[in-house]
Amino acid sequence: MRDGLKTERNGKGMIELTNVSKIYGSMVKAVDNLNLVIPDGEIFGFLGPNGAGKTTTIKMITGVLNPNSGTIRVNGKDIQREPLEVKKQIGYVPDNPNIFLRLKGIEYLNFMADMYDVSTDERKERVESLAKRFGMADVLNDRIQSYSHGMRQKIIIMGVLVHNPSVWILDEPMTGLDPRSSFMLKEMMREHADSGNTVFFSTHILDVAEKLCDRVAIINKGQILFCGTLEEMREHFKKNASLENIFLELTESEE
Amino acid sequence: MKNKTLLLAKTLIKNGEGIGLKGSTAFAKAVVILVFLIIIPMFMSGIAFVVAALLGMLRQIGQEGIILTWGLAINSAVVFIFGIFYIISTFYFSSDIELLLPLPLKPRQIIGAKFIVVAVYEYLTTAVVFVPMWLTYGIKMGSGLLYYVYGLIIFLLIPFVPLTAASILIMLIMRFFNLSRHKDTVKVVGGMLGIFIGLGINVVVQNVTTGMSQEQVMELIQKGNNSLIGLAAGIFPTTRWGAEALVFHAQLSGFISFLLYTGFSILFYYALLWLGELIYLRGVIGLSEAGSRRNRTKQVQLEKTAVKGSVIRTYTLVELKLLFRTPIYFINCVMINFLYPVFFLFPLLVQNEEVSIIQELSKALNKPGTEGMILAGSFALALFLGGTNATTATAISREGQELFVKKYLPVSYRQQLTAKLLSGFILGLVAIIMMVLFAVIVFNLEWWLGLIILATAWLPILYTSLTGLLIDLYNPKLDWDNEQKAVKQNVNVVYNMLAGILPAGLTIAFIGFAFNLVWAIIVLVGFYGLLSFILAKLLYTIGVKRFCMLEG
Ligand SMILES: Nc1ncnc2c1ncn2[C@@H]1O[C@H](COP(=O)(O)OP(=O)(O)OP(=O)(O)O)[C@@H](O)[C@H]1O
Ligand SMILES: [Mg+2]
Repeated sequence: MRDGLKTERNGKGMIELTNVSKIYGSMVKAVDNLNLVIPDGEIFGFLGPNGAGKTTTIKMITGVLNPNSGTIRVNGKDIQREPLEVKKQIGYVPDNPNIFLRLKGIEYLNFMADMYDVSTDERKERVESLAKRFGMADVLNDRIQSYSHGMRQKIIIMGVLVHNPSVWILDEPMTGLDPRSSFMLKEMMREHADSGNTVFFSTHILDVAEKLCDRVAIINKGQILFCGTLEEMREHFKKNASLENIFLELTESEE
Repeated sequence: MKNKTLLLAKTLIKNGEGIGLKGSTAFAKAVVILVFLIIIPMFMSGIAFVVAALLGMLRQIGQEGIILTWGLAINSAVVFIFGIFYIISTFYFSSDIELLLPLPLKPRQIIGAKFIVVAVYEYLTTAVVFVPMWLTYGIKMGSGLLYYVYGLIIFLLIPFVPLTAASILIMLIMRFFNLSRHKDTVKVVGGMLGIFIGLGINVVVQNVTTGMSQEQVMELIQKGNNSLIGLAAGIFPTTRWGAEALVFHAQLSGFISFLLYTGFSILFYYALLWLGELIYLRGVIGLSEAGSRRNRTKQVQLEKTAVKGSVIRTYTLVELKLLFRTPIYFINCVMINFLYPVFFLFPLLVQNEEVSIIQELSKALNKPGTEGMILAGSFALALFLGGTNATTATAISREGQELFVKKYLPVSYRQQLTAKLLSGFILGLVAIIMMVLFAVIVFNLEWWLGLIILATAWLPILYTSLTGLLIDLYNPKLDWDNEQKAVKQNVNVVYNMLAGILPAGLTIAFIGFAFNLVWAIIVLVGFYGLLSFILAKLLYTIGVKRFCMLEG
């Protein structure tokens, strides 16, 4: 399923942000001249305090927000110039799972599958296996309105996986998931990255980031404070310090 | 205790549902002010004009008082129908209920306050009909001061009886059927049920009161002295006393009628409070839990359900599903299309058999040589039906906070707008199909003329769908926390009404020219075809750009 996407990369990262800025209204500079390269084949964690600009950055990569300046390329394609091409490759789990509440779970999955042009056979197979893995088979016929927070999160994740995108972009995906589902999601993220795809996710759970990520970026007030592998980070700071200590130190010194 | 009720009512009105002009532009405000300053007074003077003309005729047979009964009866019926929906949503499904229930308030205080809130909103509607009728009658008949005093009090009491009837009906339905699990369905079915029960009662009452032979009616008419007043009272018999109080204001009998009218209105209100104390809480508690049927046994049949469909088709279907499943959207965008014929039937049901409007209209519709006019009339009607339909005029607004989803889907904005356009267009078609069926079946409209109307009058529907979508793209109301605000308190709906009604006026003026059928087809299809073509071009160029720029 990993089509030829990987061959196109020419040593370039799967996601490249160059001098990207976003200003809300005319005052708040939520993302400030940001440069970031997210390579494929790795799990990339995006950390930062509340209001740092994580969601804003993610929304610009997925085409939800238009940047005020700068360019964003996914797999070499500019989101502004070829939006549909880029969007097709991305699977996005937003931070707010309360969408399409009046649709049934299965209707939502079918909607997403149709929007991403998934064939009947593929979707049947995927819906079936995903429903089993996430324990959602019994509730697919219910309205999403009746789901708990975690179930809503799961149906959104299933909606992404049903079209099998090469780039996963997840905004705080573990929020509300039970231990089993969260474990399984992490496993799937690992699998996905290991087969050469890109996984980019934001989180506040530093344990998860420490265990799962190959590379992390820490953002505060719209600017990247650090970007690199975990080893680089430990070298850069005191050896053996936990990610938590580094995070606290980094984001505090900014105040 | 009474103070607490009034205080709560005041807070609810302040806190709640203005027309929602706060966030809108100066232009938006200007248009709304225009509507209030020009269109409503125009409408009111139209009513005054008709009332004055009718008075002249009825006076000759000494039956002028029947006008007041008609006015009060129509107002009561309107209050009742709107009331059903208002009551369901304010008594049972409004978001403030969860905040009110924990407060140290008696159920009757909550009910009383909410009743007053609804009544105040109803005044806005009833004033438009009642005030011109009341003043015209008073001036024409040279009524004394007491007439105006009575009239003011009667006006304030108009909503009491019909609104109490609606509230009691709804409270009983909510109490005795365990409906908490089907919240959305209740809002809709409850409303329909209420209306049909109301209509049923009306028919029965009509049959009882008008079960007179023609001779008896003639006799009554000949008696003069407003002997017909009681005959037209409609569903709510108290309206008769209201009319009598006004007509005979200078006599003792008028005073007695006035006492009866006010007495009964207040009595009804207290009966409601008493009943509310008994059954309101039981119906409302638990309603906040979102209901779902858990069919553990009924697993999804993937073989049947997981089938690929085209982007436009699926997108349009999802738009329609959301419209059907969200009660407020259903009432404003969907049901209204099916209900138009009912609104037209309603006055017919109220008719005496002796004077058949149906026959008169059938005759008019089947006069040879009027086909061109009829077609122009259908275009005007289609413009009106399309313009009052809120579907495309809220198509973007309804997305609200979920708009961001539409931005990351790999579907071009062009296709998305097409699907949104289609969903509104399809619903608009329902209205025109219903009207044509109604005209063919009830008024004996020639079926071939009906077919010609169907084959052409989709163009004005397309036109209003396009204007609605363009208007909403330019001024979407995305920042809402309650679906009601997306459609009920959205000025775009008013704009689109104007976009439909203004050319409808033009088209009606055009009836005066009395084109023959062929010319009417050519001119109307040409005009609205061209207009729609230009608007579609606009939609697919600047409309798409605009959608691209919107950020959720
Ligand atoms: N729609 C908006 N309008 C105005 N300002 C906004 C909007 N959304 C976010 N902001 C501002 O932009 C900044 C970055 O917000 P963002 O949502 O990207 O933070 P975040 O890193 O995702 O935070 P969290 O960890 O809480 O999710 C904040 O200062 C926030 O106040
Ligand atoms: Mg965030």
